[in-house]
Amino acid sequence: MLSYVPGDTVAHQLDPRSKLSFQIGVAIAAFAQPSTAWLAGLYGLTAVVLLAGRLSPRRVVRGYGVVFVVLALAPVIAGTTLGPPWFRVDPAMTSLRAVARVPPVLAVSAVYVATTPIRETRAAIERLVPGRPGQLLAVGMSLVVRFFPLVVDDLRTVRTAMDARGGQRQAVIDRARRLAVQGLDRALARSDRLAVALRARCFAWNPTLPPLALSRLDYPVLVASVLLALSPLVQSAA
Amino acid sequence: MTQQHGTVELVDDETVGYVARAVLIAALTAALAQVSIPLPGSLPPFSLQPFGAFFAGLLLGPLWGGFALLLYLLVGIAGVPVFSNGSAGLGYVLVGQGTGGFLIGFLVGAVVAGAIAHQRSTPRPLGELSVPVQVLALVATVAVVYAVGVPWMASVLGLSLADAATIMAPYVPLDLLKVLVAVGIIRGGYLTRQ
Repeated sequence: MLSYVPGDTVAHQLDPRSKLSFQIGVAIAAFAQPSTAWLAGLYGLTAVVLLAGRLSPRRVVRGYGVVFVVLALAPVIAGTTLGPPWFRVDPAMTSLRAVARVPPVLAVSAVYVATTPIRETRAAIERLVPGRPGQLLAVGMSLVVRFFPLVVDDLRTVRTAMDARGGQRQAVIDRARRLAVQGLDRALARSDRLAVALRARCFAWNPTLPPLALSRLDYPVLVASVLLALSPLVQSAA
Repeated sequence: MTQQHGTVELVDDETVGYVARAVLIAALTAALAQVSIPLPGSLPPFSLQPFGAFFAGLLLGPLWGGFALLLYLLVGIAGVPVFSNGSAGLGYVLVGQGTGGFLIGFLVGAVVAGAIAHQRSTPRPLGELSVPVQVLALVATVAVVYAVGVPWMASVLGLSLADAATIMAPYVPLDLLKVLVAVGIIRGGYLTRQ
């Protein structure tokens, strides 16, 4: 599982806003129906990004394990037919070319996850989305991060209790209903307590913001993001 | 360090209530994404994730239901392992294994469910919603999830639309079953807190 690792690499020093825009830039560039040479260039760029975040490709593959398995299966599924000749090469190759665009996007995104603390993404969202919606999204993100493990624990408790009472022998619908009801009931109880706590602590529209500043390193990354995002236009013109 | 001096502008009580509820529905969606009940044979596992979008739309309405699902996506993009199999990152939402469209579909679906069920931006009490309206709202959610998810999947994996639809077809009856379970939960009076 990929998660933030503290460090002082180039990727760690970048502003989260430039890293977010870079990911979008790479995704757009990857999906601009690229040629093989274009794709090779993108893999080269990905290698540089992995180096900048000191993240090994092996960790990316391990982090997105199941995803890569599904990606590898896609060409096989695309080529398989339900009658003779059972396997056709053309659709399989089309799928393989499509799937080959995915790893660079995943790798760049993995570098973001590994080098950006969640509070920085929160601050970036607060700056990027103007006004009160941005503030509520930012506060909401922090609270979801706080409550996610608790709700997972709640569901685990419910499941253990069901299993202890022979739940595995019950119908799937019954189990799903019980799990959803109990999970929702506990989540709503928590939300009532959270609302009371927020009101009691004077939840306000004008709290103090964490500092964020673009450094000299950020500007080339921002320029690269724009160039990557615009690259499909250059390609279609050529 | 500079300090701010000025009047504190409090968030009104109603908004605080909606935010708190949206936060917990987002956390519940994230938790339910990690849970599935294995089915016998070669059937796909019974995932509980759609319940997050269903409840977001029905309990919170289009505005706050959409807000809840947007929080879920943003937290995943920030790196919390909230997507299925503990995945995270913007790349997973955009491309991943081709299932990113379903995540976006849940967001749009929650907004659609809320809009159909409540017909205004703030939610009405659940008791005022008739069963046909609830069923319609949730079936529309399932339709939206597939309408966004299947073409997205076809485009990322380079499959034909028919192939992508064939892969996802076994999930449709399960999702319609989930609609009935969700409506049953609401009609059964399990959420008397509402």
